[in-house]
Amino acid sequence: MENNVQNLNDVPVAKLSDYGYRDYHVLAKIWKVVSTILVVVIIFMIYLSILIIALQSFNSSSDVLSFNKFTTYWYTHMFDEPSFATPVRNTFIISVAATLISTLVGTLVAVGIHYSTKRFHQKIMLLNNIPLLNADIVTGISIMLIFSLVMKIPGLEYIFGFPTMLVAHMYFCLPYVILNVLPKLKELDSNMMDAALDLGLKPIRALIKVIVPSIVSGILAGLIFAFTMSFDDFVISYYTTGNGFNNLSIWVYSSIGRKGLRPYVHSFSTLVTFGSMVILLAINFFMGKKGVKNGKKH
Amino acid sequence: MNNKFGRLAKPYIIWLYIFAVAPAIVMSFLIFTDMEGLDLANLKMTLDNFSQLGEKSTLIAFKNSFLLSVITTAISIVLGYLVAYKLFRSNFKNKFLILVILILPMWSNILLRTEALANIMESNNIVTTFLNKIFNSNITFPQLRGTYFSVVFGLVVTYVPFMIMPIYNSLEKIDRSVEEAALDLGLTEMQKFWKVILPMSSKGIITGSIMVFLPSLSGFAIPKILGSGNIVMIGNVIEELFNNMNYNIGSLLAMIILVVILFSITIVNKVDKEGEMLL
Amino acid sequence: MKKVIIELKNVSLSYDDEPDVPIVDNISLQIYENEFITLLGPSGCGKTTTLRIIAGFQKPTQGQVIIDGKIFNDIPPYARPINTVFQRYALFPHLNVLGNVKIGLKNRPTSYLIDFFGGRDKIEELIKQDKINKGVAEDKIKKASYFEINKKVNQLIDEAAYNALKLVKLDGFENRKIEQMSGGQQQRVAIARAIINRPKILLLDEPLAALDLKLRQNMQYELKEMQRALGITFIFVTHDQEEAMTMSDRIVVMNNGIIQQLGTPEDIYNEPVNGFVANFIGETNIMRGKYLYENHISFLGAEFDCLGYKFEDGEDVDVVIRPEDWDVVPLENAKLIGEVTSCIFKGVHYEICAMFGEQEIMIHAYETPKVGDKIGLKVDPYEIHLMKVAREEPVSDQEGQDNLE
Repeated sequence: MENNVQNLNDVPVAKLSDYGYRDYHVLAKIWKVVSTILVVVIIFMIYLSILIIALQSFNSSSDVLSFNKFTTYWYTHMFDEPSFATPVRNTFIISVAATLISTLVGTLVAVGIHYSTKRFHQKIMLLNNIPLLNADIVTGISIMLIFSLVMKIPGLEYIFGFPTMLVAHMYFCLPYVILNVLPKLKELDSNMMDAALDLGLKPIRALIKVIVPSIVSGILAGLIFAFTMSFDDFVISYYTTGNGFNNLSIWVYSSIGRKGLRPYVHSFSTLVTFGSMVILLAINFFMGKKGVKNGKKH
Repeated sequence: MNNKFGRLAKPYIIWLYIFAVAPAIVMSFLIFTDMEGLDLANLKMTLDNFSQLGEKSTLIAFKNSFLLSVITTAISIVLGYLVAYKLFRSNFKNKFLILVILILPMWSNILLRTEALANIMESNNIVTTFLNKIFNSNITFPQLRGTYFSVVFGLVVTYVPFMIMPIYNSLEKIDRSVEEAALDLGLTEMQKFWKVILPMSSKGIITGSIMVFLPSLSGFAIPKILGSGNIVMIGNVIEELFNNMNYNIGSLLAMIILVVILFSITIVNKVDKEGEMLL
Repeated sequence: MKKVIIELKNVSLSYDDEPDVPIVDNISLQIYENEFITLLGPSGCGKTTTLRIIAGFQKPTQGQVIIDGKIFNDIPPYARPINTVFQRYALFPHLNVLGNVKIGLKNRPTSYLIDFFGGRDKIEELIKQDKINKGVAEDKIKKASYFEINKKVNQLIDEAAYNALKLVKLDGFENRKIEQMSGGQQQRVAIARAIINRPKILLLDEPLAALDLKLRQNMQYELKEMQRALGITFIFVTHDQEEAMTMSDRIVVMNNGIIQQLGTPEDIYNEPVNGFVANFIGETNIMRGKYLYENHISFLGAEFDCLGYKFEDGEDVDVVIRPEDWDVVPLENAKLIGEVTSCIFKGVHYEICAMFGEQEIMIHAYETPKVGDKIGLKVDPYEIHLMKVAREEPVSDQEGQDNLE
């Protein structure tokens, strides 16, 4: 040991400049700090509107432009006005229904796509991009036009409202579920299904018992995406509703027009944001624990 | 045996034909007709609708739309790449949480969020009055509502998450050993980024750009609220036309947007056959 | 005396979350110029980590990496005179074959490249030659401009790339996309991409693992040829002992982050220092025996002559005899007699297992005894190898080297 240490003192330490490179590690460190600050600023900007909404929710004045006094009044009296309670209820009904149906149907469709021929696969993936990438306004108008034609069928005159909005929401939620589930299916061992069938399971049972548990994280991600998109949607809902069926975004839009935006909307929104944050963190915690368990098994 | 499952996808393609393909056919038909709403009994065939394209207001709306969405996309690429790259480089590898951070703002209504942004774009707003109350000061913000800046700002902060996710996904797919190979072959960290990482994540940039460009191009709520009538984009014109039951010219403008979108979809389909980058 | 090009001095590496479990544990190793050395061991033995420490992808938690007489611990991979051929090739999918091969040189500073191609004078001379060939009168030629030098350097890079591709027998494939190449061809691109930079040391991380048997054997031969032709040091990592035997000048057998034995393939095969090496390098029989006195050993109840080992009289030792070193003899001439438990045809020979009391012995022979038959064995003194009885602690590399000498 002693011997080694002595030897090492004689050995020169190589320098970057000896090999034609400049040493940028000070610059790299500065950039690291600067870029981290930039990222924090960008995330802050993404959340800026949320923070302002939160501030507005504690404002005692109904004038959205001026802060008067701190109050929690709007949180406790959120649904006092029925004209607000109804759109909120409609929003939840539409979003939950559209999300659940889309998740179930989307998962089945994804399984179908996974097991279909390559040509069909490519064709359906191309079409599947249309609802995803199409402009909301074009999608909204498109579905409205289709239902306007359907409306001409006797007996279906009053179709606009809940059913049309639900179909429209399913239309743009399905691709999100499919795109989240498909990669998980691809990761599956291709022999898994054959093995299950070989062991005598009926196809439907094999699907539920073997495939679904392995793609559950994709299904869950699809569900969250679908709900987010449905809950956030304004334009498509705007064009596909009718007969007095309003959801929250349509209500907000007309309130903005009438300058009638009251702070209880902001309280509601803040509650939803922080509530969902808690739920999603809980899901993450739960999934994380499961992940560790699985990891140890391997 | 597996064909049985293949059949599960068949109804969906019919669904897509009805809601994605059929409307385009209806709209192409409406372009050449003149009627109020969908009053099929009184329809006339005409080419007059195309004269609307020469109208100054339409041209300005198109110019605004393309200009602002190109600027929005360019800014989003820079900011989105920075965030995605830093996330990718950090030890924070929980993709689910990253996703949550990026989509959580969407759980507040988009109109409310845009209203909130419009609020602080006023010279006297909720934040200034709040700060003035606390510090007993007299702060005012610059009056930005109604400017191009406010519209671009609103578009960027609303849509930049759609840029971050695809770029992050494409960065995640770069094999660690490819990065090591670059360093091994004599490329410095800087060269490694420009010559290897950036080109290898170009799929994510293309997909993300389309995800930002298309909604920016066609949106009408953000320009309406943040532009407060000064800045008209094509979405606002289409909305107006459909509100006035002018489905024909509305369809014409919508079809123009649809053509841009279909073009984008074919690009997405080329660079990303499986749709892996989108989410 | 051969020149040492790389020296690892007491190098250790462990991860932050498990500081007590070293991946590489106090390794000291000298690698000579122009040799083909192989790090051999089972997966998880630390061989790839050792390679990554040499390449600069991982910093050792302790110890020094000395390259060409300088401590290189803090030098990033790009400044080391080392190139690597990666296990999964790690080619750049966005570049074609030529782009992959050129990328290393293309991104170097011009000053480096001028020296790389023989210095400014030589390049100016080449430019002058070009002009003369084009018919410019010699007295009218001006000094080469910056742009001309740049152009010439780029031209030389192109030439170097074509030569490198020729060396790996891929001429004509320059404009192919990476995804259009087979595994074996990608392998060759990876090699060309590395050797074009004229590294002093080429690291190869299980480069043949993904190839099929026939291709692998060809590549073994080609790599060995290439190493001779280039005259640079190859450090090769593999878990395949046959591959290591075929190609290496020296083999480093590793296990649990420790060097078990270092020596020529013959040394390691014939004189394993412990049970791990004996078992890992080919099939073998290890029996407990007693060193009686000089050149006399007893095991399985019989006494044998042996050669060249020195132990205490009466000391317990481990006896190593390779299956092919047994001689099957008529029972009356046999030293050992056992009962055959299995006999399997292996192509060239039969693999016979027989019980000698409690001990099962494996024999490779041309005879075909039936199960249950008696079999008689003899062994020549020089085929008997003795090892110190394994202790709880694995044998450290220092002792391993002592035993060799």
